[in-house]
Amino acid sequence: MSVKVRFFARFRELLGTEIIAEPANGSSIALLVDGIAQKNREGYNAIFDEHGTFREFVIVMQNGKRIETADAGTVIVADGDEIAIFPPVAGG
Amino acid sequence: MLSERERERYKRQIPLFGDEGQERLKSAHIFIAGAGGLGSPAAIYLAVAGVGTITIVDMDTVEQSNLNRQVLHADRDIGKKKTVSAIAKLQDYNPDITVNAIDTTISEENIHDLVGRVDGIVDAMDNYPVRYLLNRVALEKKVPFFHGAIRGFYGQATTIIPGQTPCLACIFKKAPPKETSPVIGATAGVIGTVQATEVVKYLVGQGDLLAGRLFIWDGLCAKAEEITIVQDPSCPACGSPTPTTLYKEKS
Repeated sequence: MSVKVRFFARFRELLGTEIIAEPANGSSIALLVDGIAQKNREGYNAIFDEHGTFREFVIVMQNGKRIETADAGTVIVADGDEIAIFPPVAGG
Repeated sequence: MLSERERERYKRQIPLFGDEGQERLKSAHIFIAGAGGLGSPAAIYLAVAGVGTITIVDMDTVEQSNLNRQVLHADRDIGKKKTVSAIAKLQDYNPDITVNAIDTTISEENIHDLVGRVDGIVDAMDNYPVRYLLNRVALEKKVPFFHGAIRGFYGQATTIIPGQTPCLACIFKKAPPKETSPVIGATAGVIGTVQATEVVKYLVGQGDLLAGRLFIWDGLCAKAEEITIVQDPSCPACGSPTPTTLYKEKS
């Protein structure tokens, strides 16, 4: 199974633009992104909180459809999926 | 009617949308929340485009550390209220428009009176609590809300049309943490001018707005991308109200 994970903005700097991952069958979005983010502590901490769950403000999309961060641990990825992870910014 | 002087001033843009478009800009009133990084380019480009009335609100004083990005203010303005500096620059750029600059902090208490009757609200704030307030007022008044935000080399923008597009609270359910974020002025320039472009398009009725689309600018990669966004039916700000009482008509 092959899944594309796209990071945007600051997440891209820390974790790379596009990662092609080969998760095990039945992997959730959270598990998949967690595995990729482990390679960079700062990147991991930007996306996940101290309990290892998605920070609430992070925007998670599966094939262009918004996934609630609270559901990312139970939504399963499928072959060919594209997952997008975007950090909204706040400055003006 | 456009004066001869206005016709000459806007000579290079009237061919884009005709006298009618220019008249629409002239009769419009746009509210700009913030005279900082985003508010500066947005206000300047709306002023020079001939938006007839601009109300800009900010409570800060110009500081040296503002000057890398807040191009409404110059070195000689350090220590002045941003409203004083903003009104002077905008009237310098275009004396044919009306500029109101209000020195206050936008709050739940004053936002309704502050915004008044306008044709659109530009989000040039640096924090989400006030953005959510502006979003609600835009929904109530049924006027578009032109969102923008920046950090570093990154920026985002979208145009919220009440009743047609997702609102700010649909897109950003939780605010990112407040921080004093690093930023270059050029990022504010990119996003502030995207917002100004959206306002002009909306007012003259041309093009495709950033409606239902979150524009994402990545200056480090020099890439512009977008994410499609959809309305959240359970959104506390714009979701359809659930009827709590059902009345049965007496026969």
